[in-house]
Amino acid sequence: MPMRPSPKLRPTAWDALVVLCVAALAIGLAVFQWRGGTQESLTAVVSVDGEEIDRVSLERAAGKRTYQAGAYTLTVEYAAGSARVLSSDCPTQDCVHTGIITRSGQSIVCLPARIIIRLEGGAAKDGGVDAVLG
Amino acid sequence: MKRLTAYGFLMLLLLSGCGAQLSPDEAQESIQVIAMDTAMLITTYGERSPAAAYACEDTIRDLEKKLSRTDPDSEVSRLNNAGTLEDSESELRSILIQAGQYCQKTGGAFDITVAPVVAAWGFAGGDGYRVPSQKELDRLLELVDGFAVKGNGQTLSLGPGQSIDLGAIAKGYAADKLVGVFQEYEVPRGLAQLGGNVLAYGDRPDGTPWRVGIQDPAKPDDQNAFAGVLELTDAFAVTSGGYQRYFEENGKRYHHIIDPATGYPADSGLTSVTVAAGISDGSGAMCDALSTALFIMGEEKALDLWRHWDGTPFELVLVTEDGRVVVTEGLADRFTPDESGGYAYETVS
Repeated sequence: MPMRPSPKLRPTAWDALVVLCVAALAIGLAVFQWRGGTQESLTAVVSVDGEEIDRVSLERAAGKRTYQAGAYTLTVEYAAGSARVLSSDCPTQDCVHTGIITRSGQSIVCLPARIIIRLEGGAAKDGGVDAVLG
Repeated sequence: MKRLTAYGFLMLLLLSGCGAQLSPDEAQESIQVIAMDTAMLITTYGERSPAAAYACEDTIRDLEKKLSRTDPDSEVSRLNNAGTLEDSESELRSILIQAGQYCQKTGGAFDITVAPVVAAWGFAGGDGYRVPSQKELDRLLELVDGFAVKGNGQTLSLGPGQSIDLGAIAKGYAADKLVGVFQEYEVPRGLAQLGGNVLAYGDRPDGTPWRVGIQDPAKPDDQNAFAGVLELTDAFAVTSGGYQRYFEENGKRYHHIIDPATGYPADSGLTSVTVAAGISDGSGAMCDALSTALFIMGEEKALDLWRHWDGTPFELVLVTEDGRVVVTEGLADRFTPDESGGYAYETVS
């Protein structure tokens, strides 16, 4: 039995639209991945004993927030792009002495309260450091 | 032409998909641990990075359990309370042997038996800081003698009334142990920050050395102010300074590094000491112990010790009260000054 020739396929405008959509999607995904995925804004992550209790975007000033852990109370001031412990009733005051942190990776530690305030996200460090001694 | 276009789309789709697959270098895990009276941040890379990071935490917790001075069940507490300890495990013995060697090599500037004096100042935790009376210091200083710590057979012992605190060597010892964990889990690169101790393992994912800033002691509340930046690969570095843990009374500042000879915070003309060494057996503990000892000894004696050292080689960055940064020649090509600090930089040989 002779085979029937397959019908000649001609691209239509709909085919072109599908091709364009696939191409746009592919290019978009590639660019997104090459640029490192989502770029979270600079964020202060507060944890007590390793457990996250607060997350504050530093895109704009977020004012003061108070945290209680153990027997101690810390007041943290969040400005646009920075954070610092304004006051603490801990005996050592090391957290207050740490001063202002502004870059991703920096942290303020209150050992008596076991609180760590660590900055994440933000622009990639340009000429910055991976770790700080001291 | 159609085939070429199809291949092009396929490539683009593959590329966009590839980005979602992490290469071993991109696979990383970071954990924060509060232990040994400090905050620690450990970042591991590689396919086994999560398991490696948590194994690091287990190692640190295990060490803290043995070495803590505040945990009444720790080996150190039992030794402090009883004056002797049947040494069931070799860990404490190993640290005590190293501590004894650094006590001897630094002429007593490094001394783990200074613990009662440190506690009297309130730097061992507890109810806050205070200035002890001279009478109290004189009494406590009689107990300070690192050479009285003995390991006879299976028994560890202290001199009468003595107690020890391993805070100036334990984090370095822990960093040494983390190297073993990294190797066991085939971590290609990692960075461990244990208080003032840094373990820079391998290099950065981009193939360049890890960049480690030395905090400017004159600006302790500015975390972007550095005396300089070290470029480290497979190295330990430890900084000791009196600018972060301190208190003030009657207008005078008292920091936490106590000179075993005087019982008072060290006043040697240095504001910070950084000791760096390549990774080798025990060099983490060495950097930790020496950073404290050399801060107490001062610039001249520190450089003298560096010049005549007969153990694992190390290098130094000394920041002085009179505004100089002194870098030993082995580090000179891996140290970038931060001119904004206003320091005068010197390289010594």
